[in-house]
Amino acid sequence: MTVWDIPSKKSASIKSLCTAMHADVAIRLQEMGFEEGQLITCIKRTAFNGPTVIQLGDCIYSLEQSVANHVNVSAI
Amino acid sequence: MQKILLVGKPNSGKSLLFNQLTGLRQKVANFPGVTVELKSGVFNALAHSAGQSPNGTQQPKFELIDYPGTYSLKSWSKDEAIAIERLLAAMSDEKTSVILCNLDATRMERSLVFGLQVQEIAKRHDKTVVFILNMVDELLRFNHHIDTSKLSEKLGSPVFAVSAKTLIGINKLQKGLSEIAISQEKYNVRATEINQQPFAAAAKILAKEYAIRPDVVLKRQNTIDRFLLNSVFGGIAFLLIMFFLFQSIFTWAVPIMDATEDAIGLLGGVVSSVLGEGILNDFMTDAVFGGVGSFLVFVPQIMILTLIIGLLEDSGYLARAALICHKPLSFFGLSGRSFIPYLSGHACAIPAILAARTIESQRKRFVTMLTVPLMSCSARLPVYALLIAVLVPDVSYLGGWVNLQGAMFFVLYLFGIVTALIVSSVLNKMTEGSKEHQDMPFILELPSYRLPHWQPLFYRILNSGTQFIKRAGPIIFVVSMIVWTLGYFPNNGDLQNSYLSAIGQWIEPVFMPLGLDWRYGVAILVSFLARELFVGVLGTMFSMQNADENIAGLAANLEIDGLSLASGVALLGFYVIALQCVATVAMLKSELGKNRYAWGAFVAYGLLAYLVSMSLYTILSS
Repeated sequence: MTVWDIPSKKSASIKSLCTAMHADVAIRLQEMGFEEGQLITCIKRTAFNGPTVIQLGDCIYSLEQSVANHVNVSAI
Repeated sequence: MQKILLVGKPNSGKSLLFNQLTGLRQKVANFPGVTVELKSGVFNALAHSAGQSPNGTQQPKFELIDYPGTYSLKSWSKDEAIAIERLLAAMSDEKTSVILCNLDATRMERSLVFGLQVQEIAKRHDKTVVFILNMVDELLRFNHHIDTSKLSEKLGSPVFAVSAKTLIGINKLQKGLSEIAISQEKYNVRATEINQQPFAAAAKILAKEYAIRPDVVLKRQNTIDRFLLNSVFGGIAFLLIMFFLFQSIFTWAVPIMDATEDAIGLLGGVVSSVLGEGILNDFMTDAVFGGVGSFLVFVPQIMILTLIIGLLEDSGYLARAALICHKPLSFFGLSGRSFIPYLSGHACAIPAILAARTIESQRKRFVTMLTVPLMSCSARLPVYALLIAVLVPDVSYLGGWVNLQGAMFFVLYLFGIVTALIVSSVLNKMTEGSKEHQDMPFILELPSYRLPHWQPLFYRILNSGTQFIKRAGPIIFVVSMIVWTLGYFPNNGDLQNSYLSAIGQWIEPVFMPLGLDWRYGVAILVSFLARELFVGVLGTMFSMQNADENIAGLAANLEIDGLSLASGVALLGFYVIALQCVATVAMLKSELGKNRYAWGAFVAYGLLAYLVSMSLYTILSS
């Protein structure tokens, strides 16, 4: 399961960042708080498979599918 | 002069803090990536804080430098790369006294991760770090207070809690910063238990102890987002906001424009009666009041456009609009982040091209920058307003909320956007060969919704009007004078038998396929210097031709002269597409690094404009 699969208003816990991800993107995500054990809540799914809106800690981010698919999570 | 560096996460209120500390009026807005260039101003340290008498003559001054916001010290977009490279260089500069690290008090944990990275580098270079907890007014709404003394102890650096918006704590910061900047060695970073830990872990511990709970501060934002990002209502709201934006440029401005036009006409009449008959009277009436006056009428519209874009920027909606637009824009090879330069481009292409720096993907940045000039900037506004007033009846619906002329404005803006999207697709296909190995994905932080701060917005509106007059006014005056001279001589005001007419008739064949005579041809050619000249030059010529008509009533003069619908629409089509702005070409050259891109765009858009215009005329006149 990845961040892209989290339904609206549901939460999940980050397991890992996919190793296939571009290194710069992985570093940026880590600096934004995408670390193992962090709780992610999906605030909104947008139309036509547009970016998903998530809450991570004290920030709200929108991630497009190509990157959200590379953040592995486990349901809680 | 010693330097103070101002750094922080994007959209953490740095620019407003910079303005409060320097007295400058740098642009502020509520979306990430407003500051794309380093800005500097002077911070006057308070004399008594430096141990001098309040009336002492030597008031220490510091250069305060505002850096573009960054999430970390590793860049992935052009604006961040500039900030980080220059920041690291400045850290080892002897002239750097203090690093002011601005933290968003409502998003403390993320801000601290970057703040602690900066502190660690500053420590290595024996520099002083001061943490500013900005936006505390948002915390006070929830009755949340932060003990800055204890936080300072844990961080090993001074901490000030302020709100650059409501000025809470600004005096205290000015005094404290003055003291620290003058005796910075006393305030160098101290090693503490917290700042020895990994950044993320330290930020988490501190946020847990001092920050407001995220669910409290984000509750309202998430509720609004559930509506504004809703698959159905979100799209409708977006379209309504955009329609309202373009509609209001026209409808709100009409009373002010009418008043300006009346005032210019009245003043022209007074000056004319005082001067009496003669060449000076003709010059004042035709060149000054007819040429320059007809351009001044449109300044209120530019100010209203700035007001509405400013309201959108300050509210936090722009980031949501970027998110809504991401998927549709990606079909044209653009990013959701392209929306922000595109919208800013409706005010002026130059800052909009700079705003495109925040787009992570080099290819998408390139395509965005090259297509921004197709957005209908404020310089096109006078041309649109003039031609719409001639061609479209002034009819209102829904109790005055929807006006036909206003709707035509929306159509023209939409035409520019659609053209930009088509050109983007073409450019995207053309650059596929040079595609980066992997495009940087769309990741955007959504800022909190905030009520716009009236003072910076007011200055921006004022500035947009004055800058427009300052930039275009002198050139319009000079060109109006030249056009008037060529049109007045050798037969004392007989335009049809003037030097200008001779020149115009020589170039007339070029504009015949658009259904335009030599007068429009001259106005179009001259407006390649700056679009606004079109109105000024036509104003001068028609004023000379219709000396008895209302001096500033250019639209009425064009209507009487019989400008056909087909020619008018062809003219509008031409102005939507043509890149008639030398400053924009220079900015494209500077940002894209190659003359061939900038001048290529100039030539390509000129040819495309001509072809589209000719097609429109042919279709409508058949």
